[in-house]
Amino acid sequence: MSEYVSNPEEAKEYVPRYRLLYSMIAITFVLFAMRLWYLQIISGNELREFSEKNRIKQNKISSPRGLMLDRNGKVLVENLPGFEAILSPQYIENLELMASIVGPILDIEPDKIVQKVQKSRKQNGAFSQVRLKENLSREEVFRLKRIRLDTPGLEIRESIVRFYPLKEDGAQVFGYVAEISKRQIPLMNELYKNVFTFEQGDIIGKSGLEETLERDIRGTDGLSFIQVDAHGRETSTQTPNIYGEQIRDQEPVHGNNAVLTIDRDVQEAAFKSMLDNQRIGAAFAMKSNGEVLAWVSTPSFNPNDFSTGFSSSTWSRLVNDPFKPLRNKVIQDYKSPGSTFKPFVAVAALSEKVVTPTTLVAAPGVFMFGRRPYHDSNRNGYGSITIYEAIERSSNVFFFKMGIALGVDKMFAYINPLGIGQKTGVELAREVAGTMPNSEWKKATVGEEWQPGENLSTAIGQGFVEATPIQMAVAYNAIGTEGKVVKPFIIRKIIDQEGKVLKENFPQVVRDLTETQNTGIKVSQETFKVVKEGMRRVANGDRGTARFWKVPGVPMAGKTGTAQVIGFSADQIYASCTARPIHMRHHGWFVAWAPAENPEITVAVLAEHSCHGNTGAAPIVRDIVQAYFQKYHPEMIEAGLKELKMNKTTKINLPATVSEGE
Amino acid sequence: MDLSIQVEERTLFKRLDLNFILVIFALNVIGLINLYSATHGPHSLEVEPLFISQFMWLGIGWSVFFICTLIDYAIVGRIAIWIYIINLGALLYTTFFGKVALGAQRWIDFGFFRYQPSETMKLALIMLLAKILSNRATTGFGMGLKELTFPLIILLLPFGLVVEQPDLGTGMMLAAIGGSMILFTKVKKSILAVVVIAIIVAAPAAWQFGLREYQKNRILTFMSPTNDPRGTGYNSIQSKIAVGSGRFLGKGFRKGTQSQLEFLPERHTDFIYSVLSEEHGFVGSMMTMGLFCMLFVLGLRIAVNSRDKFGALLSVGVLCYVFWHMFVNIGMVIGLLPIVGVPLPLLSYGGSSMLTTMAGLGLLSSVAYRRYLF
Repeated sequence: MSEYVSNPEEAKEYVPRYRLLYSMIAITFVLFAMRLWYLQIISGNELREFSEKNRIKQNKISSPRGLMLDRNGKVLVENLPGFEAILSPQYIENLELMASIVGPILDIEPDKIVQKVQKSRKQNGAFSQVRLKENLSREEVFRLKRIRLDTPGLEIRESIVRFYPLKEDGAQVFGYVAEISKRQIPLMNELYKNVFTFEQGDIIGKSGLEETLERDIRGTDGLSFIQVDAHGRETSTQTPNIYGEQIRDQEPVHGNNAVLTIDRDVQEAAFKSMLDNQRIGAAFAMKSNGEVLAWVSTPSFNPNDFSTGFSSSTWSRLVNDPFKPLRNKVIQDYKSPGSTFKPFVAVAALSEKVVTPTTLVAAPGVFMFGRRPYHDSNRNGYGSITIYEAIERSSNVFFFKMGIALGVDKMFAYINPLGIGQKTGVELAREVAGTMPNSEWKKATVGEEWQPGENLSTAIGQGFVEATPIQMAVAYNAIGTEGKVVKPFIIRKIIDQEGKVLKENFPQVVRDLTETQNTGIKVSQETFKVVKEGMRRVANGDRGTARFWKVPGVPMAGKTGTAQVIGFSADQIYASCTARPIHMRHHGWFVAWAPAENPEITVAVLAEHSCHGNTGAAPIVRDIVQAYFQKYHPEMIEAGLKELKMNKTTKINLPATVSEGE
Repeated sequence: MDLSIQVEERTLFKRLDLNFILVIFALNVIGLINLYSATHGPHSLEVEPLFISQFMWLGIGWSVFFICTLIDYAIVGRIAIWIYIINLGALLYTTFFGKVALGAQRWIDFGFFRYQPSETMKLALIMLLAKILSNRATTGFGMGLKELTFPLIILLLPFGLVVEQPDLGTGMMLAAIGGSMILFTKVKKSILAVVVIAIIVAAPAAWQFGLREYQKNRILTFMSPTNDPRGTGYNSIQSKIAVGSGRFLGKGFRKGTQSQLEFLPERHTDFIYSVLSEEHGFVGSMMTMGLFCMLFVLGLRIAVNSRDKFGALLSVGVLCYVFWHMFVNIGMVIGLLPIVGVPLPLLSYGGSSMLTTMAGLGLLSSVAYRRYLF
């Protein structure tokens, strides 16, 4: 032991080096303390936020869109609970096998499922779920449920589905919803700056009122904050949120409801009538103050198919259909108004004193203008007639003469203020303006001088004149109300979930033709009364072109019309219009209001390729008017029926073909 | 004769450095509390039993501590060479037949306990170096080449084996501890200069051929952790977030989201200090740092007051062991040093580390116990 029990003084040799060790410890302490100060005190808040972002995952809870209700509170568009298919990648045993089983059920290619899952695994980890398909159909749910037990990782979860109880009826006006496309995201974010922020996966209104009302009926999406661990597994949140208790789940806010001016019963009657008569085209009804009552466009599509995730074949079928089911024909199909244009010319002619109500005008079956014969559809002609008869029986020659006398620019001065060639301004997007020509317009667009012969075709609503059904309704309504051009509207008000009114729209008269217009014209009430009488006779007179389609007790006033699809030459090939292939047949118009004296509603029907305005379009107008008055004025119809029984004279036989002009 | 009476008066209790023992105990308590939190997250069922086993290791550790205290450390000096040789044998066996964990062979599996020879090697090295260096003259210019040869061989043998495993962290620890002890005994300035130059020259070559890919990555990541936040930089970033997010007072016991939700890797071993910093904030971190400093200061006082050179060197060696581990571990956790798998003495989970540390501190205590010559 002596070896080690040495002189203690020897150990003192180390003393100077101890100082070095002490200072090393001191330096380390200070260095670490500074670093801890920097991390925990200076960067503390920032790093705390990072740690929060690490663990808090935000999940979007999509809010239900607002409902659409009709004028009486009946549901037009609503939300239903639906189902969606979800995959939890961590439980999937064999991805390829799973995809090959689930793919065919959901109509998704198995490869796409595999890709989707792999992509999500890479980006979000194995614990974050993958949404395979939203809004499963009933059948898909059943089929998935059957295989679910043998397919670990597959889940069926509840969701919200937009539901259109009217299905095809009014699909173009209510529109449909679908997932926002990548291309649309920046556009929508620009459009709804400071209101909404759209991101992939969001459901938006793609057409119709769903699109128009986006701002009002879209709710505020909620957020749920889930605590996840490093592997993405959800963990219970016993730990309070670090930002105090501020971060709570944000409940989604239900979108506001829209009350429309539509009347569901009238809407359904209109659609039913179009279907029953197998009509392609548009039916539009509004109250004389501009409130839209019914809006139908056929053929149609079922917007619920979009909600339940349409297949590409459904889409291409809709897009390639020659009769354009997706198009909103009420505002987008512009056709020659044909004879329905004549009352406008009558207004101009009377106002310009070309004729007086009592003037007799010769209206033979053929009219020579220059070296060309212009035929009336009634080859025998009508003899000498007044303007009343000319409207009632739809004499072409009478209006040829008016057209020549007025000239296109005079016609324009009266008819353009009526709304032809102008957008009505109804709330739906993509409305077209149609055309009301004048000489200036022709020079600008066609590059030629106005030809005198074109006055003839314009006067009977052919040639350059083109109008949409909604324009026709507005213009007729202006005649019926003796001068008031209204702005049709469909959104009555926006109400919140408690029923509080947030926004309200009121009837709006755009122009009153009894006052001087900026085209320099002014129409007297007497003039309107004359034209109204002529049009009353169309539906009620002994020789009226629409006399077979009456509503008992409710006298209508209107005008039928036929728009030529192909020039007269086609007549030489085909014996009659109905003998033609369907796409070459004429379009039939009937636009009318009721009651004739004091209009309450105005209806316009464009029955495309139906050959005639009377047989093609008038029955639908009749059904719509009947539905409306049955509901709101049943006493009128009752009285009318009583009268019919007493007289026992009226026997309504529908003629197989109508050879009368119109 | 008078002196022998004096010896009897110094009872066992009075001879112990109680302050030193209390500081160790305080660090143990902090370690246990913190380990409980680290092993009881919502999804950490598999690490929960580790808390109980650490408790057991702590009990064994304290037993070893008192056994070491009671043994005259002079005996340790005499058998140091044998301890070293046996340990070297175990290390050889591990390096070539040991259990592979995390891509390296570090353990010999005894079933209930996986023995890690590289850990005890640190202590064996300290003992043997202390023994040899205590015979070297420390006055004058310091040790020359001739005097350095044997200590260097003793150091480089285990160093080479550990690096071969590969366990660069432990290797560096061995080098740091041995190097510190040699420098403490004083080395000729000319040799120091040569060594410094040699290191500078050899560094690029060592980078090119000596380091494995993952080791290079760790160093590169340390330079710029944000380059690969999901990969090699992940640990470093998450640890810094954990430490920083603790702010002044911490998130509270078992409320550290970074650790509880497993964003922190190796949270019960290498990153135990981040758990502490996250849950107990600046206050807790500094308290623990302060306790470590107290441990060093008390330890150095023991060394200063030791009765002989061997005791002093043994004390300094053990202190270097604790110091370098603490320095590298905390330095790594707070983002001052690259990620190196080095446990934090007394706080990290691990039987080998716990036993080695407690044995070493027991030796220090023994030096204190025998500071009186008679």
